[in-house]
Amino acid sequence: MSDPEKNLIQPPEQAASTGTLAARLSLSQRAGGVVVPVLTVVLAFLIGGLVVLATGHNPLLAYRDIFNGAGLNWIFHPTTDTQGSVAAYNLTQTLLQSTTLIFTGLAVAFAFRCGMFNIGGEGQYIVGLVVANWIGVSFAGMSTLPHVLLAIVGATLAGAAWAGIAGVLKATTGAHEVISTIMLNWIAIYTAVWLFGDGGPLQGSQPTVPVSKDVASSAQLPVIWGTKGFQGLDIGFLLAIGALVVFWAVINRTTLGYEVRAVGFNPDAAAYGGINVKKNLIRAMAISGAFAGMGGAVDMLGYLYHYGSLDVQNSAAGGVGFIGIAVALLGRNTAVGVFLGSVLFGGLIYGTTQGLSSNVIQPELASNVTLIIQGLVVLFIGADILILYVWNSRKRLRRQPPTPPAPAKAAA
Amino acid sequence: MSDELVLEMRGIRKEFPGVVANDDVTFDVRRGEVHALLGENGAGKSTLMNILYGLYRPDAGEILLNGKRVVFSSASDAIDAGIGMVHQHFMLIPVMTVAENVVLGTEPVKDGVLLDEAAAEKRVADMAKTFNFAVEPGALVEDIGVGQQQRVEIMKALYRNADLLILDEPTAVLTPQEASDLFEILRTLRREGISIVFISHKLKEVLEIADRITVLRRGKTIETVPREGATEETLARAMVGREVLLRVEKKPAEVGDVLLEVEDLWASDDRGVQKVRGMSFQVRAGEIVGIAGVDGNGQTELIDALTGLRHADRGVVRVGGRELHHASPRHVLDAGLGHIPEDRQRFGLVLEFSLAENVALHDYSTPPDSKWGWLFPKRLVERARGLIQEFDVRGGGPLTPAGALSGGNQQKLVAAREISRDPKALIAAQPTRGLDVGAIEYLHRRLVSERDEGRAILLVSLELDEIFSLSDRILVIYEGQIVGEHTGDVSEEQIGFEMVGVQKKVPA
Amino acid sequence: MTTWGGRLENPVSERLRDPATTGYVALALGAFAAFLAIPPIEARSPTWPVAVGIVAIALGIWTATRGRRRLGWGAVVAGLLGIGLGVLATHSGTGNLETVFDATLIDQTFGLATPLVFGAIAGMFAERSGVINIGLEGMMLMGAFFGVYGADKGGTWVVGLLIGMASGGLLALVYAFFAIHLRADQIVGGTAVNFLAVGITGYFFQLVYNGQVSGNVSTVPNLHIAGLGHFLEGSIGNLSLLTWASFALVILAYVVLFKTPIGLRIRACGEHPRAADTVGINVYAIRYGCVVLSGLLVAIGGVYLSLGPQGNGTFIFDMTSGKGFIALAAMIFGNWRPAGAFGAAVLFGFSSALALKLQVYNPQASTLFQILPYALTLVAVAGVIGRTVAPAADGKPYAKQ
Repeated sequence: MSDPEKNLIQPPEQAASTGTLAARLSLSQRAGGVVVPVLTVVLAFLIGGLVVLATGHNPLLAYRDIFNGAGLNWIFHPTTDTQGSVAAYNLTQTLLQSTTLIFTGLAVAFAFRCGMFNIGGEGQYIVGLVVANWIGVSFAGMSTLPHVLLAIVGATLAGAAWAGIAGVLKATTGAHEVISTIMLNWIAIYTAVWLFGDGGPLQGSQPTVPVSKDVASSAQLPVIWGTKGFQGLDIGFLLAIGALVVFWAVINRTTLGYEVRAVGFNPDAAAYGGINVKKNLIRAMAISGAFAGMGGAVDMLGYLYHYGSLDVQNSAAGGVGFIGIAVALLGRNTAVGVFLGSVLFGGLIYGTTQGLSSNVIQPELASNVTLIIQGLVVLFIGADILILYVWNSRKRLRRQPPTPPAPAKAAA
Repeated sequence: MSDELVLEMRGIRKEFPGVVANDDVTFDVRRGEVHALLGENGAGKSTLMNILYGLYRPDAGEILLNGKRVVFSSASDAIDAGIGMVHQHFMLIPVMTVAENVVLGTEPVKDGVLLDEAAAEKRVADMAKTFNFAVEPGALVEDIGVGQQQRVEIMKALYRNADLLILDEPTAVLTPQEASDLFEILRTLRREGISIVFISHKLKEVLEIADRITVLRRGKTIETVPREGATEETLARAMVGREVLLRVEKKPAEVGDVLLEVEDLWASDDRGVQKVRGMSFQVRAGEIVGIAGVDGNGQTELIDALTGLRHADRGVVRVGGRELHHASPRHVLDAGLGHIPEDRQRFGLVLEFSLAENVALHDYSTPPDSKWGWLFPKRLVERARGLIQEFDVRGGGPLTPAGALSGGNQQKLVAAREISRDPKALIAAQPTRGLDVGAIEYLHRRLVSERDEGRAILLVSLELDEIFSLSDRILVIYEGQIVGEHTGDVSEEQIGFEMVGVQKKVPA
Repeated sequence: MTTWGGRLENPVSERLRDPATTGYVALALGAFAAFLAIPPIEARSPTWPVAVGIVAIALGIWTATRGRRRLGWGAVVAGLLGIGLGVLATHSGTGNLETVFDATLIDQTFGLATPLVFGAIAGMFAERSGVINIGLEGMMLMGAFFGVYGADKGGTWVVGLLIGMASGGLLALVYAFFAIHLRADQIVGGTAVNFLAVGITGYFFQLVYNGQVSGNVSTVPNLHIAGLGHFLEGSIGNLSLLTWASFALVILAYVVLFKTPIGLRIRACGEHPRAADTVGINVYAIRYGCVVLSGLLVAIGGVYLSLGPQGNGTFIFDMTSGKGFIALAAMIFGNWRPAGAFGAAVLFGFSSALALKLQVYNPQASTLFQILPYALTLVAVAGVIGRTVAPAADGKPYAKQ
């Protein structure tokens, strides 16, 4: 009984047959499984390699050096002690980078699961950084555990509140979360610039240097691998792993996750089932921001200790919040996928910058290859149709004669 | 009207997976006549016209336009050949003016590049004057009424020199006054030599406007008759037919307490138009009450208001004696109302969820499914396994995504979930739409056995057969009101008449 | 699917969303801006009167682009007067004012607004045809780098402009293929474009220039207009050629979108592609054209950044640093209309110009003005004041029947 009056002026076409973004991602997940992400990465590396090749460098050697720069050769037990310790150090740095990306990746993934695109991981992460720095600096003299907890909880809540603004706006006024999170990003960025900047409330003791104070030693996270003075891998990495487990459990094992997924796949059916859709939009956005805010806290307390206005501005373009989008999309918004995606991108980022010691390709070039690969990954993963087409045509080529074309669908 | 044929469709056949929508249909239109295409929902009217308009390709048969054989591969072919279609859902851009909508794609130009807004408005104004349209060319489409919007659609076709106009259930969206204005326009068009195909299932208006009437039933041409001599009775008989009904074995109802009660319920659709206008009825334990009616007479809004998906404007709903006022779906569920929704894919199921997760759609937040917010997937799976077996859901296990099931099995799953919650009252909206015979039989038997268990069942269906074979009592809904109530034996024709607003009694 | 247009049922009362209310609020704020500077409040710095005045102007533009023109522009005037009076009132108090409020402020306002105008108009073409272009930032960056590259290799800024535009158009073409043909999610695709642009420009910047451009390339000339009198000459007597071009573009965009058949068709594709399709309009062709045009135009904004008076022939890594997003905000704020987008871009340029000026003696207030565009847009899209009306089919991939 479709009511004719309801659709008097027919709404413009819905995309394909599936409704929400989450529904579409799920569809391709079933259709493509792990094929799409893997093929996407392969394709992106291939094209990235072509760029490298076209400009006169050997892509295979370049990728090998990047692999080593990321410290991943540590896994294969390097032959000499020096190599071993360099590799180990590089690996800790890669994991440190991955830690951040796990958090920002989860931030994007959680919102996706509720059918929303949280493009504001960057801002939420910065809010986390700022609040963690403020608490870490302010309450010096507390004992370690409560101080660390206070800082992490404070930053997490701040990230949740920041993202929650976008959730509330969406639920109450229908403001699109993409626009509002972009705006919130820049508001957070400039607010942080001001806070750490010259004359700002969180500026350190040196006037004219727009950098914050260091967090008190009582708020610094213990290092689990490497040396503290040399930016060793801190316990934040374990917190990130914990966040992955929590993400998995909340999504798959709680009524909250059930509601989030139902709303993400089909808000109409969710409402019919008795789920409060608006409440879930707000809550999912807040949880999403909580992950990013916690990421900011872990970085601040784990190895950054202080932050400056320039750092904030430099991170604005392709910052960790944006890479989180690539991580989440590549990881299919699952805990395991986010982990693998963050190690991949963490390795790429570190392996093409400080870690890279190479005659084949200099770090300044290689780090841009990383950006290109990130871009290609996001581009291809968004166009799963293309990737599946490539995959299927490969199969078609192998088995002859070709399968008959699918029967033409009756026009609607 | 002359006897010259502008259109002939011969031996048209169109098959969709599982159904023959058109079977050897023959249909022709003379110059300057209004030819009504009459039939129930699903009789094949729209399919036939979509074939004519180039949207579907026929499996067999041929189309002759002005005596020449034509093959259309798209709507633009049809437009070029002088066919215009006014869809039930208008193809208009709300934020643009009437004139802009009319000329879009074939715009008048001045100074080589600029849009000649004045010329466009003048041509529309001229057209409006010629055909007595009373439409302001400069008005925004979103600001004018539905009747006027429809005229804009007609003008779009005329602007492109259409001489054969297809109107797909044009009065479905109109008020009676707007409808009579439309008829006036159609008479003017007919005078100007334009031929019109008028698709409808409303007898009265067909008799008012048509020169000839073709009746379709279950994809077949039943007859083509001139208006002279045709009566509502003869047309209704041709339309409904005398098919053998699929009767369901059932004992006489043993009714108990009132479990679902509606008192003076009013509800509006999304655009604020009142669609339910003061309905009152009761459903008792152990009976099936069927609501019969033509699509769009307020059924959707009634169900939405009952189940909390839409706030009623006023009125009272009681489930098991408990009064529900502005209740959320959750409260309605908790009060003991089950609901098999009319659109199972949009509302009834989360297609990406597994069967087990879908089974838990109402109860995921309470034990045994969950406790303190912690979900127990194994329990969901166990419960789903039991229900899959009990309700004979085939095509997958508890972990299969619901989208992978066939329509019939999806519907069984929805029914399984709703019934297993042991509701006091159950609303079944279009429970067998689009299902195969086996699934229909199963669901019918199941609804009857649930009735015998002492549930109050409200069946809303567009299928008269279904209403007849299941209901203990039949309510007829027309324009948001109950216009007839029948217990015991009533003829299908009587119901059919009431559904289209005819009050006359016919001998049973 | 992601779309700007998709809204939930909206509980905020209609009265609050009425543009008229916004207009009156704006008028009140304009008066308030002046009031702030006089006793009893007597603001010591012009920051607050100016900030309030800007909000008043913003609300005025908002109102004007949503149907209540006279009221809206009245509010803009009130806001300007408020700023003026506020500044006058504090004038005696602080000596710094002359360094802030002079003719060069107008010059800088237009200078900073130029890339935003190009970006906002570019975004408007794409979105009017139904494709969200969140990749404006990236396409602008392409223009900025390849503009310098072209000017360097070609010897003249004209070649730079053409190469820069071509690079933006090319990236837009890739995006269009994914967004239109492959029906990829447009937000995801745009995000990818932004990554790609940073990587591509960074890579070639490093490869060709080793991370540093000498600055010794042909730049876009300024247009000197003499004999306007001291104030006018200081404010508009020495604007870049591209700034003037951006003014022309606004008018041209208005004519094309609202006064030509092609504009009607573009808007039809953005509102109801099926309806456009049924009258024989090629929706895909229109959308491809608009997205590529969008890339070409926003790239001019990028060329301006590197070859205009600010960049003066230099490029730095990630040079756009968010200007593409402000352009997007200006387009949304201007309600997808040329005049509105222009007004918003100039307003945002004004707040950036103020930020630059204030840097000298009040860095904290300076940051406040940098936040303003984003905060205003956030409030605007929240729809608490007036309604943003995106094209109905914006962001929805279209599948042919």
